[in-house]
Amino acid sequence: MSQPSPQLPRAIDQGLANCESCGKITPVVACRCPRCGSTLHLRKPASLQRTVALLVAACALYLPANLLPIMTISELGNVMASTILEGMVEFWHRQAYPIAIVIFVASILIPIVKIVALVWLCAAAAGKVHPSPRILGRIYWFTELLGRWSMVDIFVVSILVALVQFGAYMTITPGPGALAFAGVVVLTMFAAMSFDPRLLWDRLEIMNATETPSPTTDHE
Amino acid sequence: MACHFCDTLHEASAVPEGSAARCRRCGVLLYQNRSASLVRVTAFSLASLILMGIVNMFPFLTMEANGIKTELSLLRAASELIREGSAAIGWCVAVFTLVAPLAMAGGMLYVCGPLLHGRAAPGARHVARWLSRTEPWNMIEVFLLGVLVSLMKLGKMADLCFGVGFWAFAVLMVCMAAAVAGIDRNELWDRLEVAAE
Repeated sequence: MSQPSPQLPRAIDQGLANCESCGKITPVVACRCPRCGSTLHLRKPASLQRTVALLVAACALYLPANLLPIMTISELGNVMASTILEGMVEFWHRQAYPIAIVIFVASILIPIVKIVALVWLCAAAAGKVHPSPRILGRIYWFTELLGRWSMVDIFVVSILVALVQFGAYMTITPGPGALAFAGVVVLTMFAAMSFDPRLLWDRLEIMNATETPSPTTDHE
Repeated sequence: MACHFCDTLHEASAVPEGSAARCRRCGVLLYQNRSASLVRVTAFSLASLILMGIVNMFPFLTMEANGIKTELSLLRAASELIREGSAAIGWCVAVFTLVAPLAMAGGMLYVCGPLLHGRAAPGARHVARWLSRTEPWNMIEVFLLGVLVSLMKLGKMADLCFGVGFWAFAVLMVCMAAAVAGIDRNELWDRLEVAAE
């Protein structure tokens, strides 16, 4: 792949807005997209602020999500609370390695990787770090794709709660950790949606403009 | 058109059926030309709606332990949580597994069905706009993974039995994925624009 060349025209330079819901190009002065009626923006409004705010909220919920029990199992009078980590360790001890790995990836790895990746993307968009936008773009695409799979543990709780209702013999009830965990997943999904990947390329444009004031014209 | 990823302007030209156009700068997919897109979306979303009816009419899983029988259905998975005092999670589960898929399938059918005959349904613009917002919240494939994990968790504790609902749900997942991937967003809007005139 060739290096991104600064000569490629950008929509923002010509005052054109790319409609976020239908993808039509319209001058931003029109305010509303003539095709679908959405409000037009050159960039997602307050993208970095929103993303960072949602990430801070997600981080705050991350600890209770992992420390508080996501469900309590009461079996013949014994009440046992189980956190996400304990659920994974139990599968590991029972030698159900694939399931233990699925839970580890979906519930522990993906949320933390997603938060770290989005913080890094925000830092890059704000000009604090300077990795290649192409790699960053791929990371962004990945975080958007993977985030939803973290929801699997919440669904497991909902399925077990609905299924295991045997009165005194055995009953499963949801715990407070489940709410916190669902909060983490939903907040990081919103954070990924409010992040505007075009900011990464804008940063590159600014860097190119400052580093090479007069572009060489050896080859077209 | 402009790349939604890096804002580079492109001259949109028609691509042959089955292929796609990519951004010159960042390489992201810009648009693609799907074969028989409208027919496929209409067919798969109609099939999804029918399957949703089946999924909710028949039990998903039945479990028997100590002579007590419990049944799982999508509705129960959400309503039990609400009953147990976790209303917020219950509603989340309901939205992700019932409301969002239903809205997606219904919306796609409503928009693409009339388009097959070159007509735009009243309010199709608003429906199509909401479709793209609903898409990330449709989590039926994640729920199916959740079912598998739960099965492993319950293990030999009780007799488990798959119901018709479970198999319908597995097929529903495939149909929904096919319907969502069936049409390119730009193509849908281009067709809507032409039909509305």
